[in-house]
Amino acid sequence: MATLSNQGKIDISCWDGTISQHEFHTAASAFAERWNKFNAALPQCSWVARPKSPYLSSTSKDEGYLSVENVIMFPTPAAESCYGGDDKEGEEELSCSRSQEDDFIDGATMLQNHDDASHHYDFHVVYNASYRVPVLYFRAYCSDGRTLVLDDVEKSIPAISAKLLMLSKWTFITQEDHPYLNCPWYTLHPCGTSEWMKMLFSHEPAVDDGGVAVAKYLVSWFSVAGQVFGLKIPFEMLSSIGN
Amino acid sequence: MASEPRKVVVHLRATGDAPILKQAKFKIDGSDKFVKVIDFLRRQLHRDTLFVYVNSAFSPNPEELITDLYNNFGIDGKLVVNYACSMAWG
Repeated sequence: MATLSNQGKIDISCWDGTISQHEFHTAASAFAERWNKFNAALPQCSWVARPKSPYLSSTSKDEGYLSVENVIMFPTPAAESCYGGDDKEGEEELSCSRSQEDDFIDGATMLQNHDDASHHYDFHVVYNASYRVPVLYFRAYCSDGRTLVLDDVEKSIPAISAKLLMLSKWTFITQEDHPYLNCPWYTLHPCGTSEWMKMLFSHEPAVDDGGVAVAKYLVSWFSVAGQVFGLKIPFEMLSSIGN
Repeated sequence: MASEPRKVVVHLRATGDAPILKQAKFKIDGSDKFVKVIDFLRRQLHRDTLFVYVNSAFSPNPEELITDLYNNFGIDGKLVVNYACSMAWG
């Protein structure tokens, strides 16, 4: 795993918003390390390497994807499917926020307690060699293991049902074959990613020493992609990356 | 910890080809959520979808408190919020 040092810089003065496979690996290591350190409220993030194939002469050690699985979310009252219990709880404590804050009412429906009405999400971050950007793959299922179709997902995630911010203009949900697992997952289509990544970094002040750390790329990327699902990342994940 | 009602100066900055607001500087309660800034921008620009971000290459979740954003991303006594309206599909 890469250390927290600044391995690799992006020169944003002439950058198209994309990264190489190797840079993705560097950024992924940094992301996973920080996620696990600062994001105690959510399941751990791990790197899953591409299994060695007997048919390939060599497998790049950079190949693999990030995985955060079994993120539990409660559907909003508008959702059907496995909604059955009483989830009208108004106040939830989020331990991933600043620890000094009091009880925090959060519109994102992320909770710790389980019951039958919960939805479970698996998120994978996979590098796309054509667009040269990360892609968020996800699948959703009920507590009993039943897969949720996109309609259920759209109804149960407020940001998706309201088409806030990201969706319909900057990305859209599509179904693709997971390149490692070879079965259909939902994804946020990557066609606009390089553009908004370029925009995100365009006002990045830390450019005096030759560029922005590659290690920051996925943290910034996830601040946008994760927002589609109401996922937040703690500020510490950003500020811990020295420049 | 009691949160005192403290106003935060927010400076809205147009990027890309986004329209520049006549009045781009505001004071907003630190206890308000970022969604208030987003909604304001939407109404002013008559757009539903906006790309909104702060320095440090970060797009804040709408549920974040303004005071938290100011504490983490504020510079020179203000919080600069960048916004963009459109982009070319890559």
